[in-house]
Amino acid sequence: MRFTFINNLKQDKSMKLLLNGLLLFIVLYLIFDIFVKEHTLGLSTTAVMSTLFGNEEEFLDPMNKSVFLEYIHTEIFFLMMILVTLSSVYIRLFHKKTNALLHVNLLMISALLSLLTLAISYFYIASFVNIYIFSFFAWHIVALYMALKSSWELNLAK
Amino acid sequence: MLNRLYSYTVAYFLLFSVLLLISGALLFADKIGFSYESVLHYYLGDENSFSTAKSYQGVLKIILPHIFAFGLFVMVVLHFLIFTKKRDTKEIYLLIYLTFFSAFLELFSPFFILWGFHFFAYIKILSFFLFEGSVLYALFLLFKSIFFH
Repeated sequence: MRFTFINNLKQDKSMKLLLNGLLLFIVLYLIFDIFVKEHTLGLSTTAVMSTLFGNEEEFLDPMNKSVFLEYIHTEIFFLMMILVTLSSVYIRLFHKKTNALLHVNLLMISALLSLLTLAISYFYIASFVNIYIFSFFAWHIVALYMALKSSWELNLAK
Repeated sequence: MLNRLYSYTVAYFLLFSVLLLISGALLFADKIGFSYESVLHYYLGDENSFSTAKSYQGVLKIILPHIFAFGLFVMVVLHFLIFTKKRDTKEIYLLIYLTFFSAFLELFSPFFILWGFHFFAYIKILSFFLFEGSVLYALFLLFKSIFFH
């Protein structure tokens, strides 16, 4: 990540343009991820429960173990790549601010929590779905905030 | 402050990587299994469990996204080691060769099984453990470098 070595990102026009593109795509990913999850897994307790454990009234089969493992395996990969990239940009722009560390910790912990609670709710305790939904929205909100704030800092802040 | 913040990001990256390795191992155990027979049954089919043989296209469809993902993941994990004291040591060179080579064998050994070289089932299992082991060792080196230096 070359941008981590450039002293003043705002002065480097090419790098600024590249980072703007990256941040735009991260924002788009975060927004569309919510729609896709709503469609595939569900975003309410009832919907997620029905997808994971099936629903007799609606004739829905429970999610197969290997399908679930494939899902979570892919999620971990995408999540780690996006979060590391986003936090690197954010840290580069806001490393002098004291709350930068808090934001990075919030983002990472809520994302980790969303993955772990989804796995726990599938294998052990179904009620952890509620924590999954909360942490899912939490990391999306923090990530959106960090991406938008970085864009602001790159383009509009003095 | 900048380096401290980056070390936090790398530390979280280590945690995600461990989760990725665990989920990969669980997936391997669930779908294929870690015995010679289970690997052969998965790729060549098994009448007893009513599973059909995999086609070349089917295997290619599975490994295609993994070729890119393995390359990217290994590069990202190992490139962090360049920022440690281990940079340019024989140990790191060996680790880089070993990780990429085991990833290559893990991905392409199913084709040899389909071509009739059944002993590649052993190579599939061995390369999987070698890959997981070498990535875990790289993660351990990173962990040590972040928290003990």
